[in-house]
Amino acid sequence: MNINLFLQQLLNGLSIGSVYAIFALGYTLVYSILGIINLAHGAIFTLGAYFTYALMGGNFGFNGLLANAALPIKLPFAISLILASTLAGLVGIVMERVAFQPLRRQGSDSLLTVVSSLGVGVVIVNLIQYLVGAESYTYPANTYGNLPPAINFGSPENPIPIRSVQVVIFTVSVVIVGILTYFINHTKYGKAMQAIAEDPTTASLLGINSDRFIILTFFISSFLAGLAGTLVASSVSIAGPYFGIAFGLRGLAVIVLGGLGSIPGAVLGGLLIGLVEAFVPAEYSGYKDAVAFGILFIMLLVRPQGLLGRRFIQKV
Amino acid sequence: MNNAIARTTALLSTCALLLTACGGGTNTVTNSTNNSPNSTTNNPATDTTATTGTSSGAIPIGIAVAQTSNVALLGQEQVAGVKLAEKYFNSKGGVNGTPIKLVFQDTSGDEAGAINAFQTLINKDKVIGIVGPTLSQQAFSADPIGERAKVPIIGPSNTAKGIPEIGDYVARVSAPVSIVAPNSVKAALKQNPQLKKVAVFYAQNDAFSKSETEIFQQTVKDQGLELITVQKFQTSDTDFQSQATNAINLKPDLVIISGLAADGGNLVRQLRELGYKGLIVGGNGLNTSNILPVCKALCDGVLIAQAYSPEHPGEINAAFRKAYNDEYKKEPPQFSAQAFTAVQVYVEALQALDKKSKVNKLQLPELRTELNKQILLGTYNTPLGEIGFTPIGEVVQKDFYVAQIKMPKDGSQGKFTFLK
Repeated sequence: MNINLFLQQLLNGLSIGSVYAIFALGYTLVYSILGIINLAHGAIFTLGAYFTYALMGGNFGFNGLLANAALPIKLPFAISLILASTLAGLVGIVMERVAFQPLRRQGSDSLLTVVSSLGVGVVIVNLIQYLVGAESYTYPANTYGNLPPAINFGSPENPIPIRSVQVVIFTVSVVIVGILTYFINHTKYGKAMQAIAEDPTTASLLGINSDRFIILTFFISSFLAGLAGTLVASSVSIAGPYFGIAFGLRGLAVIVLGGLGSIPGAVLGGLLIGLVEAFVPAEYSGYKDAVAFGILFIMLLVRPQGLLGRRFIQKV
Repeated sequence: MNNAIARTTALLSTCALLLTACGGGTNTVTNSTNNSPNSTTNNPATDTTATTGTSSGAIPIGIAVAQTSNVALLGQEQVAGVKLAEKYFNSKGGVNGTPIKLVFQDTSGDEAGAINAFQTLINKDKVIGIVGPTLSQQAFSADPIGERAKVPIIGPSNTAKGIPEIGDYVARVSAPVSIVAPNSVKAALKQNPQLKKVAVFYAQNDAFSKSETEIFQQTVKDQGLELITVQKFQTSDTDFQSQATNAINLKPDLVIISGLAADGGNLVRQLRELGYKGLIVGGNGLNTSNILPVCKALCDGVLIAQAYSPEHPGEINAAFRKAYNDEYKKEPPQFSAQAFTAVQVYVEALQALDKKSKVNKLQLPELRTELNKQILLGTYNTPLGEIGFTPIGEVVQKDFYVAQIKMPKDGSQGKFTFLK
């Protein structure tokens, strides 16, 4: 592998890894508060991408119930991105009320909640197909204004072209991770969330309304999923209702690798998996998942708590 | 304690997701209890008491295409085609007065789904014949089921090598890739006679794409061109930057892509974004307007060989084109035209058979066998032009076309324009 290709793959890996990171952050937030993995996260990711498409005034194909329907508005990409992610966040709240809260009230086993979330995921994916069909959709060509299609990180004689989309995605992801880290560590709400994650009973004794913060957590988590979905779709288009499934799986690998419930762990895990995948030679691209999960497997053997996870202490 | 729960949760959820991913969606088909491979083999004998379906009115024809999963992109177009055919032929009196009735079973995108759908159609819905499945990959697994049960199968879109050879009951209306594909390379040579270096891309996890790329690579050699690189990818891939960069560094004049719609469209887009300026030829998997939303304005100029042109002269194509335009407000794609044709072959073969011996008097196994013979005998004037079959069920088609994608600058409303 020559140095150009190496640099190019490094930048590609960072770009895709940063999306994995914000996607996995959503998983991790819910896990740290509730101790469960929300398997509908991939479906919310897909939903966010479709919301953005609709808000940008895109019309749907002829195969779904909403054949040829389009919103009467055409919003710019940046506004659609925020609005669509917010909508995804609201869907997350509804999901929490419908599929998580009733089980939590009954004190059900966390495994049941996981199954319930899987059900929500299947429902959302099929609902999307029912409503708008299985076609692929792409945002309008000028999504990112007048950026050139690729940016050259090398010299004119020795080009290292990277698609501009990848650069934008990386930048946005870094900003989002920064904002989220600030929110968690330096605001009252973030600290309350941390307190609940640490010990829900003590937190409620201290006057923190844990139910409110669970809703907030689901909102942020689903907001991040919707955002990641839109970013990925702006790079490779929405390949149909199933396009979040692969991300759902990778996200799992990322959080287990980084350490369940650890926010820096999710970021580190995301970047690592992104880089590893980028360096799988193109002709073996079918083995990307195998490599990602192989690393996960080794990690579980060597360091079960993940890279930055805390070792749980058995309390007697 | 928490740690153990965490790990169990992660593992279990991974398994669960893997399962759903492989299922590719909801398969609403539930199988009757008697469809293990063995009982299928015996079915024609045990089924003799069954009614032929015709006694209850309409004649049932099975449609087993992908209505869910990522293959639904193509399957949806086929559903549109067969529905128009049902409406059209029933309005013309069906089979000498008896209407036909389409029975749909979703195959999803994989082999298991196609096998389930075939078994349900054959054993439970008691159809007289099947149109399907969508992918060659699925046909190699599902068609033998029909063959063993002696049920006619017409492949509407299976273009890989070796499909009619699966058995006596397997035919197809989709011309094989070996006949269709070379036309697009010739069209590229016509547009740029100086072209010399060719880079080939193909999806290595798809039987059809592998079969198609062999034909393309042979054509490249036959035309005296230089094959400078062969790059592989997966139909599920979305990032093609490393393959694209590898190929672009070798300075090709022509890129040939064998893949499906979403991956093919993304590959075209990324090749262009990374600075490739030469001609691009797409295979049959890219032969759908579904790639237009993926690569938008960057799709412009892609050459794709066609087994169907909306501009084909003839009364039936005019009727089909108009019906399609009225219903969906766009030109019919090849997949819809071929699916329409498959139903037409059943209807006209049934009409011919009915004149010899009334189809509603025949027992189902006999009807299926006689119908299969009749299908191979006839010639049909279809939207694809006049077609017939060789004795093994390979389609004989006269007219082929090459289309070039034309996109306006904003990438909104692209279309396939047919080259003269």
